[in-house]
Amino acid sequence: MVPTPRTPLRADRLRALNLPVKAHVRVNEAGHPLSLIRDGAELPVEEIRELWRIDDEWWRSPIIRCYADVVLAGGKRVILYQDLVTGDWWMQRP
Amino acid sequence: MLTIPSRPLTSDLSACCWIPQFALRCEETRRPELAQGPAAVLSPDDSRRVWQISRSARRTGVRPAMTVSQAIGLCPTLKLCEADPVHYDERFSSLLAALLDVSPVLEPAELGRVYVGLDGLEGIYGNLGLQVEAIECGMRNAERGIEMDASPIGSAFRLPTSAFEPRIGIARGKFTSRVAASRAKPGAPIIVAPGTERGFLGRQPLAVLPLDPDTHRRLLRLGLATLRDLAALPEEAVTSQFGDAGRKLWRLAAGKIIEPVTGRRTPEPIVQSLAFYTPVAEREFLLQAFSRLLTLALAHPRRTGWRVRALRAEAKIEHGSSWLASFTLKDPTAAPDRLLALLTVRIEQSPPAGAVERLTVLFTDFAPGSTELQLFARDAGAEARARRRDALRTAAHEIRLRFRRPLLQHVIEVQPWSRLPERRYALIDFEP
Repeated sequence: MVPTPRTPLRADRLRALNLPVKAHVRVNEAGHPLSLIRDGAELPVEEIRELWRIDDEWWRSPIIRCYADVVLAGGKRVILYQDLVTGDWWMQRP
Repeated sequence: MLTIPSRPLTSDLSACCWIPQFALRCEETRRPELAQGPAAVLSPDDSRRVWQISRSARRTGVRPAMTVSQAIGLCPTLKLCEADPVHYDERFSSLLAALLDVSPVLEPAELGRVYVGLDGLEGIYGNLGLQVEAIECGMRNAERGIEMDASPIGSAFRLPTSAFEPRIGIARGKFTSRVAASRAKPGAPIIVAPGTERGFLGRQPLAVLPLDPDTHRRLLRLGLATLRDLAALPEEAVTSQFGDAGRKLWRLAAGKIIEPVTGRRTPEPIVQSLAFYTPVAEREFLLQAFSRLLTLALAHPRRTGWRVRALRAEAKIEHGSSWLASFTLKDPTAAPDRLLALLTVRIEQSPPAGAVERLTVLFTDFAPGSTELQLFARDAGAEARARRRDALRTAAHEIRLRFRRPLLQHVIEVQPWSRLPERRYALIDFEP
């Protein structure tokens, strides 16, 4: 059998990609994001492309999040989510 | 398919066989009248300059690299002959073949100089004196083109002295044996007994070291004349003045480097030739012919799975001379364009000195292709991919050496199906 040429995986050498960063988000009555506040500037949400919720890993440390795939003013697309356990908002790349 | 020995044989005890002015000696063997008076062989790269000159020509003031007009001005009776590098190479090859019968460990250094490994030969020929006789006998036989008979019995019937006048030096390590050969006289080899290398080397002038002129001048200004003077200095002081090269020089001078003779690998070459009905002088035609020959040679079944490491191109020129170009590729290739580019540059810089009657292309050494290349040898893109991967591997290695940690990483899929974006991909050190 031909061995795989790829580098063998070792968990301690992996670095996560696309880690979420904390965000300040203004929401409407329904809890949907209206704008993202970063570096003192407020960027309005122009379009909410998709909304979804995940409930995962309830058997250890539950992950309960509400996600929003949004387009900000200026055309930048980001993923915002609210951690429903802590109530904090987070942002990451699509 | 080619087979190349993976681990060449080596030998610490070395016999350096040196035939000075090898090209001139070849010409004198072929045309004995040249040995009667002052003679010179023209440079194979520039036929307006002399290359190798006889002793009698040197006495008149002629020196290598002089222009022909200068040389004739100094010595009107000087006999000149055009270089025939293909012939010299053939003679040297027959010499190597004869010496290969004496010892399996043979390392050619340059035209006319070869190192013969002597480790283990005492069981076949006897003591060092008899081993030297076997070598001399082999060289004489090669010179006369007769079958090898290097047994001690054969050597009892001594042949006349060789016209090649080989000098032989024997010592542990190539450098010391080379110095010994440079001090030896024809028929009187110098044997440096193990343990006496330092004393022998200490008496030699600095010029025996592989020095560039600038370093040589600096060493002389420091008042150093012999290897003993150099070896008497602290190694660190020489290193701090001359860097790593200085350290190597010091270690050579002190007899601390024993470079073993490494047997050469001799795969059967792939040869393609083309004879012209009418001699051709136009460079474009020659390059077209080379292009065709390279294509044919690369398509040879034995080349499959191997890249070319050493390329030779030969041209037989009308009126008996020849043209030779040899290339050893740092980055072996199977791409005809790269091989042809080498020949194009050489033909532009030093074209054949006359119209060409026959062209030959030889692949004389090979490097294995990648696994991918061997599996899909007909895939023209495979070599390019293998080359890119090699370049990447080298770059990653250099970065790791320079910054002492791997800075290159690549993205891998971890849980691409995950609903949590941060768990889909990760970075890992790039280790090609």
